[in-house]
Amino acid sequence: MKILKKTDVILSISLILISVLGFFIVELMKKDGKTVVVKQNNSVVYEGKISEDREIPLKHNTVKIKDGKVFMKCADCKNQICVKSGKISKSGETVVCLPNRVIIEIE
Amino acid sequence: MSSKQGNNRNRIKRLAIYSLLCSLCIVFGYVEFLIPTSLIAPGIKLGISNSIAILLLINGDIGGAFAVNISRILLSALLFGSPFSLLFSLCAGIVSTLVCALLIKLPALSPIGVSVAGGVCHNAVQVFVASFVVGRGVWFYLPILTVAGVICGAAIGFLGIVFSKKAKIDF
Repeated sequence: MKILKKTDVILSISLILISVLGFFIVELMKKDGKTVVVKQNNSVVYEGKISEDREIPLKHNTVKIKDGKVFMKCADCKNQICVKSGKISKSGETVVCLPNRVIIEIE
Repeated sequence: MSSKQGNNRNRIKRLAIYSLLCSLCIVFGYVEFLIPTSLIAPGIKLGISNSIAILLLINGDIGGAFAVNISRILLSALLFGSPFSLLFSLCAGIVSTLVCALLIKLPALSPIGVSVAGGVCHNAVQVFVASFVVGRGVWFYLPILTVAGVICGAAIGFLGIVFSKKAKIDF
């Protein structure tokens, strides 16, 4: 029994190529978002355009909108995952601060 | 009478070997848990226990591959999982074993290719099931999972070949 046949290599390489292609299609399909929605404890606390620069102070977090991008400027939680998750601008992207139950969404 | 006795003995031997392989699969599941593959991308697992299914398929025992894989999935969900994880792994397990069982008949593919196809199908089915539970957004994750499926599948197929050289299973 041959360990690796030509067909195996062709199958593997074509699957990888298809997924690389798929990855780029997914990246292209992401549209720029229009509105920013900030939720705390599942209720909407802010809704506004992504094009308007502003800072939104919350109880434990500060959300900042600048140059069409949104990010968590600071949070008082221990893990700081939301701060580290960086800037978002595409429709469907989110930044979540689980300890303070804050979600930033782009629609 | 003697043939019936022989048949019975054969069935008992089969049951014993399948049970042994099944418990081996569950141990593999634990070994896998110790390897932090999910650091590369969340949700990725090697699937070492599928090499046992590949081993059985190499031996031409399709029924055995199904029996071991499905009982392995049920048992590990009972031990470590939740109803949700059972749904995911059962759907993916059945489909990927079916694909492997069909492809092993193709002379053009070696067990590595069969395992690659199985791994990719497994991940695709999981994304399909997840799209019902979580939403359409998870489809974006499929390309990364497909690449992971190819790499892990190749490794698992190779492991299956190594096992089939070392362990002689004859009924």
